[in-house]
Amino acid sequence: MRAFRALTVNTVRAGLRNRIALFFTLGLAVLFMVIFGELFGGSNFSVTYGVVDHDGSTQSQQFVAALRSIKGVTVNTGTRAAEIDDLRNNHVDVVVEIPHGFGAALTTPGAPGVSVVPIQASQTSSTASIADQILGHVLSGFAARGAAPPVTLATPVSSSVNNVTAIDYFLPAMLAYIILQSGINYVAIGLADLRARRVLRRFRATPLRPAQILGAQIAAGALTVILQLIVLTAIGLLFFQAKTYGSWFVAAVPMLLGVAAFVGIGFLLTSAARTSESARGLSTFVAFPMMFLSGVFFPITTLPGWLQTTVHVLPLTWLTDALHRVMNDGVGLDAIALDCLVLAGWAVVTFAIATWRFRWD
Amino acid sequence: MPVISANGLLKRYGALVAVDGISFSVETGEIFGMLGPNGAGKTTTMEMLEGLREPDEGSATVLGSDVVREARAIKTRIGVQLQATALPPLTRVREAIDLFGALFPTARPTDDMLREFDLESKATTYATELSGGQMQRLSIALALVNDPDVVFLDEPTTGLDPQARLNIWDVIEDVRRRGKTVVLTTHNMEEAERLCSRIAVIDHGRIVALGTPASLIAAHAPGTTIEFDAPHGVDEEAIAKIEGVDKVSVDGRVAVSTRTPERVLRELLDPDAHWLRRGDDGHIAGIRDLRVRQGTLEDVFIALTGRSLRT
Repeated sequence: MRAFRALTVNTVRAGLRNRIALFFTLGLAVLFMVIFGELFGGSNFSVTYGVVDHDGSTQSQQFVAALRSIKGVTVNTGTRAAEIDDLRNNHVDVVVEIPHGFGAALTTPGAPGVSVVPIQASQTSSTASIADQILGHVLSGFAARGAAPPVTLATPVSSSVNNVTAIDYFLPAMLAYIILQSGINYVAIGLADLRARRVLRRFRATPLRPAQILGAQIAAGALTVILQLIVLTAIGLLFFQAKTYGSWFVAAVPMLLGVAAFVGIGFLLTSAARTSESARGLSTFVAFPMMFLSGVFFPITTLPGWLQTTVHVLPLTWLTDALHRVMNDGVGLDAIALDCLVLAGWAVVTFAIATWRFRWD
Repeated sequence: MPVISANGLLKRYGALVAVDGISFSVETGEIFGMLGPNGAGKTTTMEMLEGLREPDEGSATVLGSDVVREARAIKTRIGVQLQATALPPLTRVREAIDLFGALFPTARPTDDMLREFDLESKATTYATELSGGQMQRLSIALALVNDPDVVFLDEPTTGLDPQARLNIWDVIEDVRRRGKTVVLTTHNMEEAERLCSRIAVIDHGRIVALGTPASLIAAHAPGTTIEFDAPHGVDEEAIAKIEGVDKVSVDGRVAVSTRTPERVLRELLDPDAHWLRRGDDGHIAGIRDLRVRQGTLEDVFIALTGRSLRT
């Protein structure tokens, strides 16, 4: 145990001294928060919705009110033609159509489901994507309550949902980003380097068991990520005044499962790669698409339909979703059970394959 | 009982037989050298003794324990220095010694190791920033941190400048003086001759000769070689006829092999030497840059394999 601890501590220390790895994990996460915080955050942030209310129910009016209560959000209402016209002239950023049956779907058990349709001038503009996120959060608050009628709209959940700002949205996204990047930088590349430079072989010439050597490297990777998550959370709360709503104990569950899944993926990449160069290449190939497709930088809803289905295979999609739901919407563990299960599944499968395929040199 | 006993060790890598039935034994307090060119199978042999590779055939014991079945027990009592110095990244010298000490049930104090290996002033330096000689001293210090009975050093001086090499030789002799048994590989014959009590000459995975440096030279390169330059050339056949000459070769320099150097030298230095060609002016230019040397391990290796060690 003393040997295992010494090896783990040494690896964590070396990891934290590695400035390049630190930049690509914690450093970039903070940088992204600064950039997106400036872009969307604080007083600079404003979105104008043009709402077309086809339903005219109490629920639809309360939905509009909930939207309107968000800081930086302006809501105009009017006919479809008028709002579309405003969209063309850039007077509104997004037109939102509330369909017939919106109120009924929320209040009457067994009523057919409806969907609220956002119409945007451009899918790629950052205002449109942040507008989409806000809409999603407000709606998910309604949907959650709609699932268990009878409900009132004035629950504390709605107020928390209502106050999600850009920085609140990006803190959980950046926590997910760190878990992704660290699993790769500290395990996939780190372990492949130790193997290529024959350090693993040198350790094998000591009485350490092979499982202790690998276990210490993996434990060190996980510890390094957890330390970074704590630091980033502290930075987000203290310097960016990010607000979170869910329980930290609940948030810790998908975070730890996410760490396990991505450390597992890192370990698997080491097993798949022959050299440390190919480990680097493979890591980039795996990390980058996931980073951009899994809801870290913009919501999945902006992706084309077929891609939305595809990205639900990726563990980062589930991790990002779980962290947003807990930290922004304040949901409990039961609401993210599926996310947690998928992450646990990824962890188990990647560790099993990586252990089976691992080569010492 | 020998400290190390290898019996018919054989290791294959695919179709290649890297170690082809090697047997030897090493006694307490020896510095046992494995001498051979790169790829001869020295490192693989050593790694089988260290419990890092399992032999495909044959067996070996180190300190009375079987290298396959009791590898972990062996690893607590041996010290290992691998060929390419392998240390974890971003680790300072003191941290590296602390770390390796913690990997063994008992370890010597880090401060003692720093002092003994002259690394005190480098204690807080990253290992990657050390000079070649310092790095090698650290590497040997790490091999000794558990106070082992047997130390395996794989090419301890390869790539070092001459001064650093002399320093490492002193370090290794010091290790032996403290009663440890040392096994080392090298392709430097001077190193083998200076340090080793016995040498196994290895080529193509086999031991082609084994003995003390003196006995190897006596058996395989017994003669003395007389070398010189002759500005106008020599009559090679005439030299070959001088009594006591075993072999003559003219390859730029003239090299004469003999077991009776005094007699042959007297003939070669004769002022009326008939074997020495005259210049255009009819004068003898004499011989230049005369050198007389005893056989070396390099000669032994050439005699045994027909190839030079350096290639």
